[in-house]
Amino acid sequence: MGRITAGLLAAVFLLSACHRPYYIQEHHDQFYSVKNDKADSGFVNMLAPYKKSMDAQMQVVIGHADTTLYKAQPESTLGDFLADAQLTMAQKIDKEVIAAVANYGGIRVPYISAGEITLGKMYEMMPFDNMLVIAEVPGDVMKHFCDHIARAKGWPVSGIRFDIVGTEARNIYIDGSPLDVHKTYKIAVNDYMANGGDNCDFLVPLKKATTNIFIRDALIAYVKKREEQHQPLHPKIENRLQYGN
Amino acid sequence: MATRRTFIKKAAAGGALMLAGGFPYQSLAGERVQKLTILHTNDVHSHLEPFPMDGGKYQGQGGVAQRAALVEQVRQQEEHVLLLDAGDIFQGTPYFNLYKGEPEIKAMSMLGYDACTMGNHDFDAGVEGFAKQLPHANFPVLTANYDFTNTVLEGKTHPYKIFRKGKLKIGIFGLGVELHGLVSDHAYGNTKYIDPLVTARTVTEKLKKNEKCDMVICLSHLGYQYDSNKVSDMVLAKETENIDLIIGGHTHTFLDKPMSVINKNGGETIINQVGWAGLRLGQLDFVFDSKKGSKLANAQSVIIAKQTRAF
Repeated sequence: MGRITAGLLAAVFLLSACHRPYYIQEHHDQFYSVKNDKADSGFVNMLAPYKKSMDAQMQVVIGHADTTLYKAQPESTLGDFLADAQLTMAQKIDKEVIAAVANYGGIRVPYISAGEITLGKMYEMMPFDNMLVIAEVPGDVMKHFCDHIARAKGWPVSGIRFDIVGTEARNIYIDGSPLDVHKTYKIAVNDYMANGGDNCDFLVPLKKATTNIFIRDALIAYVKKREEQHQPLHPKIENRLQYGN
Repeated sequence: MATRRTFIKKAAAGGALMLAGGFPYQSLAGERVQKLTILHTNDVHSHLEPFPMDGGKYQGQGGVAQRAALVEQVRQQEEHVLLLDAGDIFQGTPYFNLYKGEPEIKAMSMLGYDACTMGNHDFDAGVEGFAKQLPHANFPVLTANYDFTNTVLEGKTHPYKIFRKGKLKIGIFGLGVELHGLVSDHAYGNTKYIDPLVTARTVTEKLKKNEKCDMVICLSHLGYQYDSNKVSDMVLAKETENIDLIIGGHTHTFLDKPMSVINKNGGETIINQVGWAGLRLGQLDFVFDSKKGSKLANAQSVIIAKQTRAF
């Protein structure tokens, strides 16, 4: 018995002795800003066939902006552009749509520089194949929706104005009139939100019409229309949402 | 780059001292001391090319070929390097819309990534879409709190992996963010999200106590910190005992210095994150000693730097 125990102990000791422990004594940190000056040609070559085909499709100029558009909260020029494009497209389908809301996290670029706007830039801004959805939102849910936007510190809206006070939306105006909890509003959103994304669970049970139009295509159509009219995007903050009291 | 210069300077000083016979225990120190370099990225989001020269804030920055040149430079200097990514490899440029992640994963394999975890956007083409690109990956995907049973990813990821670098045993595991409310239901399908704190405690106990890893690293896509009490890297660091380093992602946080947190064991847990889009590459150098608690003089610690091994 004793011999077996000793043998076992020895085995256990040997097993654990396989690895001599080491302890962290110190650490140093740094980071590199990845810059254009040095590139590994192997990677450039690997990407080349992908890039060639992609650029042929994406480096197409579809319009212009006269000022750089930025992503920010509570309101931003990129956000206004997105929500306006959404509303414009939705109104082509249903004239009763009076406002649009997009989730802030859905904008995937920090800025779009002044000058030419390429098709590829629209893919970067809105890479998701999210569809345009028209939701029928009762007034009380609309209040909840605005509070949700307020808690998130402000999302892109069009046709909606309110003040963000703490975690609450106050002085809410929909299409120029104060929010009426007894009315039902037709609001243009995306299918990600309509299906509960970004914690929009309150939109899930609502009556909705799903279009087969990508949000990205709404952006592209908006830019192209402005270009046809010789009106570059002219971003400016309109105080749709404000932090206030 | 200042740190790098100091390091080389220290190396030179150490070398000179040794030549002068200042370190009679050079061989002992060589045995006792081990160095590990961690290079890391997060939320690269299909940014394979540098940002265009359009006058914008990030113009000319980023790019996988440029990152590769930096990684190669560090690998020339350091003997033991781990290259890690904390998820959201996919989605953000037309590369992903057109090629569904193939060039992203191919590039990571070419770069010699040692491991990655999955971010929420790595589900954007569904679990099927991610699984489809896995044949291009020559590195493991680590995620401990997504249960992929009855999905096409079942058996294709690992909760953790143990890496041996020199005499060191490094345990690395992955944690992902809650999918419901963030990722479309149809995209994650039957994937089950498991509490990251509970998972972390179980996995790290195993890595530290059973596997006797010298270091435990978490590749996390939980996010750095939130106003609410939602689980984040800060919460994870404070509420667990056995994590030495958290390589984070999801919140696109640019940390100029890693965050040092006192964990539940009273020890140090380091959190780092390098923004997004491959704009930065993070580097953390760890010096290990087989003698617990012995503080190494700076000159000694560089003995194991590759450029001084000739001594």
